[in-house]
Amino acid sequence: MRVMIVDDHPMWRDAVGRDLTEAGFEVVATVGEGAQALRIAGSVRPDVVVLDLQLPDVSGVDVTRGLVAANPDIRVLILSASGEHGDVLDAVKAGATGYMVKSASRAELIEAVRRTESGDAVFSPGLAGLVLGEFRRMAVSPDPNTPRLTEREAEVLRMVGTGLSYKQIAERLVLSHRTVQNHVQNTLNKLQLHNRVDLVRYAIEHGLDSAPD
Amino acid sequence: MTNLQAPLWRSIAAFRVASLAYAAILLALRRSIYTHWGWAWGVLAVMTVWTLATTLLYRAPLYTKPSWKTKVLLVADLLVTIAALLATELVQNPHSIKLGAMPVTATWLAGPALAWAVIGGVRAGAAAAIVIGACVVALRHLPAGQVLRSTDLDGPVVLLMAAMLAGYIAKLSSRAEQAMQRATEIVAASRERERLARTIHDSVLQVLAMVQRRGAEFGGPAAEIGRLAGEQEAALRALITADVSVLLPDGELDLAAQLSLDAQAFVSVIIPAAPVLLSERAVWETTAAVREAIDNVRKHCGENAHAWVLVDDEGAEVSVTIRDDGPGMPTERLAEAAAEGRLGVSHAITGRMRDIGGSADISSSPGVGTEVRLRVPRKIQANGQAALR
Repeated sequence: MRVMIVDDHPMWRDAVGRDLTEAGFEVVATVGEGAQALRIAGSVRPDVVVLDLQLPDVSGVDVTRGLVAANPDIRVLILSASGEHGDVLDAVKAGATGYMVKSASRAELIEAVRRTESGDAVFSPGLAGLVLGEFRRMAVSPDPNTPRLTEREAEVLRMVGTGLSYKQIAERLVLSHRTVQNHVQNTLNKLQLHNRVDLVRYAIEHGLDSAPD
Repeated sequence: MTNLQAPLWRSIAAFRVASLAYAAILLALRRSIYTHWGWAWGVLAVMTVWTLATTLLYRAPLYTKPSWKTKVLLVADLLVTIAALLATELVQNPHSIKLGAMPVTATWLAGPALAWAVIGGVRAGAAAAIVIGACVVALRHLPAGQVLRSTDLDGPVVLLMAAMLAGYIAKLSSRAEQAMQRATEIVAASRERERLARTIHDSVLQVLAMVQRRGAEFGGPAAEIGRLAGEQEAALRALITADVSVLLPDGELDLAAQLSLDAQAFVSVIIPAAPVLLSERAVWETTAAVREAIDNVRKHCGENAHAWVLVDDEGAEVSVTIRDDGPGMPTERLAEAAAEGRLGVSHAITGRMRDIGGSADISSSPGVGTEVRLRVPRKIQANGQAALR
C-alpha cells in the first residue's frame, strides 16, 4: 500500500515515515508543503495521504480538497497537533475520512492508516463530537435538503464521542461490528455529499457552471 | 480619525451662519437706531465673508497640537470679530448703545470664543470669551461702578460659560478619539500576535506530542517525561480551543469553551465546533458538576482510568456525558448505594443540575465503566434566569 506523508515538521515526517515503513507500508513520498503535495500526487499515486493541517503554504483543507478532486479514490487521514475544530471539520467535509491527534500512539497510527486504506472512516472521539455538533447545527435549518441523523446514528456518534470502541458499542446496542462501522461511515458520507451538493448549488447560482468563453 | 472633532466644527459653522442671519434681520428691522445704516451693511458684508472663510479654514483636522497657521487663524478670527463689534460705535446711535441695543454683530461675536475653546481647551476659550466680553462692556461706556450692577454682564457671562463648556467637550472628544485610536492599535496588534501564536502553539504541540509518543515507547524514566509532556500538551490545546470564555453581551457563556479548559492528560473533552451558549449560571453549575464527576473518576478508578466529556447541543437541551473506562459496577449496587445515602458526590451533582432546571442520570455496568449524563434544558433555564432577575 502506497502512503504519502505531508507535514512541515521534519521531525514528524521522519518519525511517521519510519513507523509506517517498519509496519510494512510503502512510503512513496514525504513532503513539507501543500502545493508540492498536490503537484506530485498524480505521479506518485498514493493510496493514503497522511496530512498535517498546519502547512506553511496551502491550508490542509485546500490540500484535501485538491487531492480528492484529482482522484476521488484517494484516502486522506488528518494527523494534526493542534486540531483546531473549524479546520478539522472543514477537512472532513472536503473529503478526509479520518482524523487523529499526533499524541496518539504508534500502534494507533498504524491501525488508523490501515483502516483508512480499506475505506473505513477513522473516527476519534473528537471527530465524532465535531460531526455530531455539525449535524446538530444543521438541524435547525428549514431547508428540506439538509441531511439529518437517524436516532441510531446520533446514538452511535455519541458513544464514539465518549471513547467507546466499535466493539463495545456493538455489544451495548446488540449490533454487529460492521453495522456500527456503517452507521459511522454513513454520517460522514452524508456530510461530504451535502458539502458537494452545496458547492455545486453555489456554482450554479453564481454562474460558475458554464464553460469559460 | 477626525470623526469626533468634525461635528464640533460643523455646529460652530452652523452657529455662525444662523447668527449672521439674525444680525441681518435685526439690522433690516431696526433702521432707526443706526446713524450710518449703509455702513452697518458694510460691516455685515465683512462678517459674511469672514463666516465663509472660517467655515472653510477651520474644517481641517486640528486634533493635534495647533500649527502656527492655526494660531494665526485664531488670532485673526478674534481681531476681525472685535473690529466688527467695535464698528458698532461708528454706525449706531450713541444713545441706543447706552440703552443696551444689540451691536451690529449680535450673537455672531461668540464664534471665535468657541473656536478657541475647541482648539485650545477650556482656558483658551475662557480667555477669548473674556476679551470679547470686555469689548462688549467697553462699547457701552458705562461708569465703572455701574458695570457690576447692570444686566449688561449677562451676555458676556453666558458667553464665558458657553466657551468653557465647548472647551470641555472638545477635550473630552479628543481624549475619546485618542482612546479609540489606541484601542484600534491594540486590536490590530493582538490579532497579529494571535496569528503568530497559532503557528508557535502548533510547533510546541508538535514537539510535546513527539516527546509523549517517544517517551511512552522507551518506557522507564522516559515514560515519566512523556507523561508530563502529555499533560502540558492537553493544557495548551485546551487554552487554544477555549479563547472565547468571555461573557457575551446577553449574559451567556460558551459551555464548550469553559469545559475544554478542564481537559487533562486523562480527560478528553469532546465539543462541537460551534459555541454552546447557555446562561452564565447554567454554565457555572454544569462546569462544577462535571468537575465533581471527574474528581470522582480520579478517586474511584485510579491513576490509569481515562474519562471522556462529551458536549452535545441538541437545541432544546444541552447534554453533557462524562464516561470513564474504570471497572464500573452493576446497576443494582448503584441503586443500593443511593438508598444508603452513600452517593455523596452524585447528590451534589444532581442538586446542582436541579438548581438550573436540569437533571443528572448515573448509569454503570461492569466492563463499560460509569456514565454520568447531565441535561440542561434551554427553555426552563431561560425562565429560571428571568426569575432570578
